Amino acid sequence: MTADVQSKAKMPHLSSDKQLTFIKLAVLSMAAILSFATRLFSVLRFESVIHEFDPYFNYRTTRYLTEEGFYNFHNWFDDRAWYPLGRIIGGTIYPGLMLTSATLYNIMQFLNITIDIRNVCVFLAPFFSSLTTIVTYLLTKELKDEGAGLVAAAMIAIVPGYISRSVAGSYDNEGIAIFCMLLTYYFWIKAINTGTILWATMTALAYFYMVSSWGGYVFLINLIPLHVLALIMLGRFSSRVYVAYSTLYCVGTILSMQISFVGFQPVQSSEHMLALGVFGLCQLYAFTQYLRERLSPQNFELLFKALVTTLLATLGTATVLFTVTGKISPWTGRFYSLLDPSYAKNHIPIIASVSEHQPTSWSSFYFDLQVLVFLFPAGLYFCFTRITDANIFIILYGVLSIYFAGVMVRLMLVLAPVMCIVSGIAASSLLSLHVKDIEPKVDKPEKKKKHENNLVFRSEVGALFVCVLGCLLVSYVFHCTWVTSEAYSSPSIVLSARAHDGARIIFDDFREAYTWLKMNTPEDAKVMSWWDYGYQITAMANRTVIVDNNTWNNTHISRVGQAMASTEDKAYEIMRELDVDYVLVIFGGLVGYSSDDINKFLWMVRIGGSTDRGAHIREADYYTPSGEFRIDADGSNTLLNCLMYKMSYYKFGLVYTEGGRPPGFDRVRGAEIGNKDFNLEVLEEAYTTEHWLVRIYKVKPLPNRGV
Amino acid sequence: MIVKMSSEIPARNKMRICVVYLLFIFTICGSTNVDTVSSDIKIKNVDRIIDCSSQLVKTTSKITLENSGKAPIKSFLLAIENVLKDHISFLGVKDSHNKDLRLIETTVKGYDYIKFYRVELKDAINAGSSSILTAESVFTKALQPYPTAITQQEDQLVKFNGNLYFFSPYYVISQKTNVILNTKSVESFTKVKPFSQLDGTLIFGTYSNIGPFTEKELSVHFKNNSPFLTVTRVERLIEVSHWGNIAVEEKIEIEHTGAKLSGPFSRYHYQQDHHSGPASVRSYKTLLPASAADVYYRDTNGNISTSNMKVKKDSVELDLRPRYPLFGGWKTHYTLGYNVPSYEYVYHSGNEYLLKMRVIDHIVDDMQVDELVTKVILPEGVHNIKINFPYSITKLPDTLHYTYLDTQGRPVISFTKKNIVENHIQDFQLRYTFPTIIMLREPLIVVGSLYALFLCVIIYVRLDFSIHKPEHAHKD
Repeated sequence: MTADVQSKAKMPHLSSDKQLTFIKLAVLSMAAILSFATRLFSVLRFESVIHEFDPYFNYRTTRYLTEEGFYNFHNWFDDRAWYPLGRIIGGTIYPGLMLTSATLYNIMQFLNITIDIRNVCVFLAPFFSSLTTIVTYLLTKELKDEGAGLVAAAMIAIVPGYISRSVAGSYDNEGIAIFCMLLTYYFWIKAINTGTILWATMTALAYFYMVSSWGGYVFLINLIPLHVLALIMLGRFSSRVYVAYSTLYCVGTILSMQISFVGFQPVQSSEHMLALGVFGLCQLYAFTQYLRERLSPQNFELLFKALVTTLLATLGTATVLFTVTGKISPWTGRFYSLLDPSYAKNHIPIIASVSEHQPTSWSSFYFDLQVLVFLFPAGLYFCFTRITDANIFIILYGVLSIYFAGVMVRLMLVLAPVMCIVSGIAASSLLSLHVKDIEPKVDKPEKKKKHENNLVFRSEVGALFVCVLGCLLVSYVFHCTWVTSEAYSSPSIVLSARAHDGARIIFDDFREAYTWLKMNTPEDAKVMSWWDYGYQITAMANRTVIVDNNTWNNTHISRVGQAMASTEDKAYEIMRELDVDYVLVIFGGLVGYSSDDINKFLWMVRIGGSTDRGAHIREADYYTPSGEFRIDADGSNTLLNCLMYKMSYYKFGLVYTEGGRPPGFDRVRGAEIGNKDFNLEVLEEAYTTEHWLVRIYKVKPLPNRGV
Repeated sequence: MIVKMSSEIPARNKMRICVVYLLFIFTICGSTNVDTVSSDIKIKNVDRIIDCSSQLVKTTSKITLENSGKAPIKSFLLAIENVLKDHISFLGVKDSHNKDLRLIETTVKGYDYIKFYRVELKDAINAGSSSILTAESVFTKALQPYPTAITQQEDQLVKFNGNLYFFSPYYVISQKTNVILNTKSVESFTKVKPFSQLDGTLIFGTYSNIGPFTEKELSVHFKNNSPFLTVTRVERLIEVSHWGNIAVEEKIEIEHTGAKLSGPFSRYHYQQDHHSGPASVRSYKTLLPASAADVYYRDTNGNISTSNMKVKKDSVELDLRPRYPLFGGWKTHYTLGYNVPSYEYVYHSGNEYLLKMRVIDHIVDDMQVDELVTKVILPEGVHNIKINFPYSITKLPDTLHYTYLDTQGRPVISFTKKNIVENHIQDFQLRYTFPTIIMLREPLIVVGSLYALFLCVIIYVRLDFSIHKPEHAHKD
């Protein structure tokens, strides 16, 4: 790198080799530490707490794993969720995350480091992003050189697209999955470059870890075969590729089938068929090459044609047969929405209702990647100038992930690492190109034949370029820090706002409500809420929920949606049917918290109306005649009398929220509520938090006969 | 053993320790104590105050004891009436010089159903003379909410059932009882003349010539909105470090044991009108030692962000607000922790150390604690542990605790007691031997392991462990 050259003068007592090692180590360890430190904003601002929704489920399962041991965890049937169905946890999760933190926890307990399991969970993602930094360095080093590796490592340490899913407290699969993915890629590149079984097996092991931790492994098991396919097409197929891929596929597939949630999918589902097909193709291709060496060209031609025809025919019939008989599962909704962004919106409301499944906007590319967006094409160019097997891989990875990131916001996470790697290659190549120019010319007569001496102001242009790139990189650092601190570091379980005098107000209503539920309701109480809060209720309140964030049963969620969207007496029937004791709603109208249940209400109507039993719920009924969703006096009568409306606005009509406004002024919707004076017939207010963010109602028992 | 111990302790405490230790011994073998009621003793006058204004019932009785016999009296008996027998938490007697007297639980033949305490007098009462003593007792859960469930807007009414007369095995010549209620709204009370009602006080008596063991029901039904907070369990953890710090952590479970909330909780009314929910507890104060620092207040879901801390001259006052207001029947739990410097609590001469800390600390004013478990974690390498308690306490078996850089484990001394009130906030004394040289062990472990690590790296870098050399060592 450039810095190496300058520092040589300052450290005369070390040989240049040692200086290089020292600088590499220093840069890399600083990048690793930085990537840990920059993710701690939320811990410093709030506390060491688990964020958002899914992490609470992961935290709860991890706690269970550490307390009950692996086998109980594996056989865990959870009766706290999806009442009355329950959920087989062991068979429906990717256990890699929980096993990782439980292992770390047990190691530390063994060493008498008495750290709380919650803290292990909170700091796991930052820790793994440090490891990701190191793996990125290794991977980029394999692709280009050490300089590019260091730049890429420094870039990935702070790239917001990755930070968004790996801040301290965001205890989710993605936090470790990115590390696993890059590790698999690194081993894969190593395997391709060396062609040894050792590296290929390492790839398979890393792949196994990846499979055990994130559903996104499907991307990986399609990308690697695609790479092999591209190599075959480009005529770069070699015994190295053959050894690497065959080993990876065999070992990796068998290993991945050990995860009970994955099961037989690797040989059954269509998402994995590319890998299987390429594996077959590899064998055929290698076999053909072997035959070609042994046979005369005429015989070979004949044999080849015959073989290809039979094979295609068999394969075709087999595929059709298996698809028809259902042996090969149809493609799942989430996968369809990858290929056709409008698919989910038209067919599955429950997928479309999740904000992270929305298509990415252009601005969020810049927001999450900043300067990388511009360096990426340059990096691709540098990759193309010197095509190797490894470079083809990174080009494929880059292009594919750009497409997927455009389809779904959440896949920005997969794009961020390759952006850093390719941009690292670009930045390093550009810098080394121009830094050479700045230095006073060393006489190298034999190199004069190149075009270098045609340029005027060579050293000035070089200096200017280095300055500009330096400025860009500095602005990248500032941008990343700003984005991390402003956008990605709020735990969402604790909200904060500024008072008029600048003092910080904390809204801790969620935990207030969950603690209330935990301490003051019967141990076996069933709580109904919209599915978003299911994981938090089971984890923090330890109560049974009807539906939760694992949206596996659409009809069940639909039933809850129907209850929320119906009138009180209709809802009472549904609640009796589901054995509900308490109903929990989120209401932001008093403090202006916009992601509350009234704003999500249309999704409840849509999902509620999407099944047969909810056919009477029509979305149009909840709009005004002119097609607006209004909660004031002009709003639709159906809306103003449904359960969700009543639960949110019970007694709210009496409250003055803002000066100069009538009582019952909803600060989120900016309107005075339309239905103020009503009483609840089948429910009673059990608890409402200090800022009215969470309201809990108790379902009254059936009235006594004859009263 | 007692003598040896006392010789090292400041003179002021010498006596008390002896008393306490004896009391401890005697309570253990208390069941074997049998006393008789002396007919020589007469009670000339009793001035009794029953304070029912908080959740506790605190009685203070000024007893004028008269010796009508021939021989001097060295001890006399106190009896607890049957109604309150199961509620007594604390009993203490002081003589006219305000000195604590020794109490021993005992029995009297023929009165097996009554709880007796023998009070050992310091100065014997000679024949014909008399002496004034003050008996203090605290009863928990003696006030029963009646009705047992109220709505949010209603006041809490409680009922007190006691004995109209001072319950004693001796003849009482004259007596008077004041019941402090701090409220004028009294629903009903036992009316035995002469009686009067003055502001928040009911005055019964003077009654004269009441025979021994006379019981007559005294029942008062009145408004009491003071916080009815029962600490159902406290686990107090004291971790002593010889690097200058003592960490205290209390895991507390609290329940509102007043009249239960019936019907809905309306946040609107609760916010609109500050008098709404008169029986509910919005916040309470906890007093910590004046040197307490780094205070934290959290529960299993994380930090509880609603509390204020005021540093006062002689204490740190915490204004704790639970996550939600506590209504009757509602529970909460939390962890409260802080650090105090060890020089205030650990005394030493050479390798001999003495730890003096409170068995339990203040949690709420007029607190009642159902169960206390205190654990003291001592540094690794401590031996020769002896512990003295100020009152009878059940000791739990010793265990070991492993934490950072431990190899043998730290000794944990634990003990438990049930039914505790503020009067039990007293020091226990723990003496142990700790060779100072052991302090160096932990830094040495760190240094040693780092040294080993560096050594491994050096060896790995310098020596070549590969079995065979790859043909192209460098790609380019």
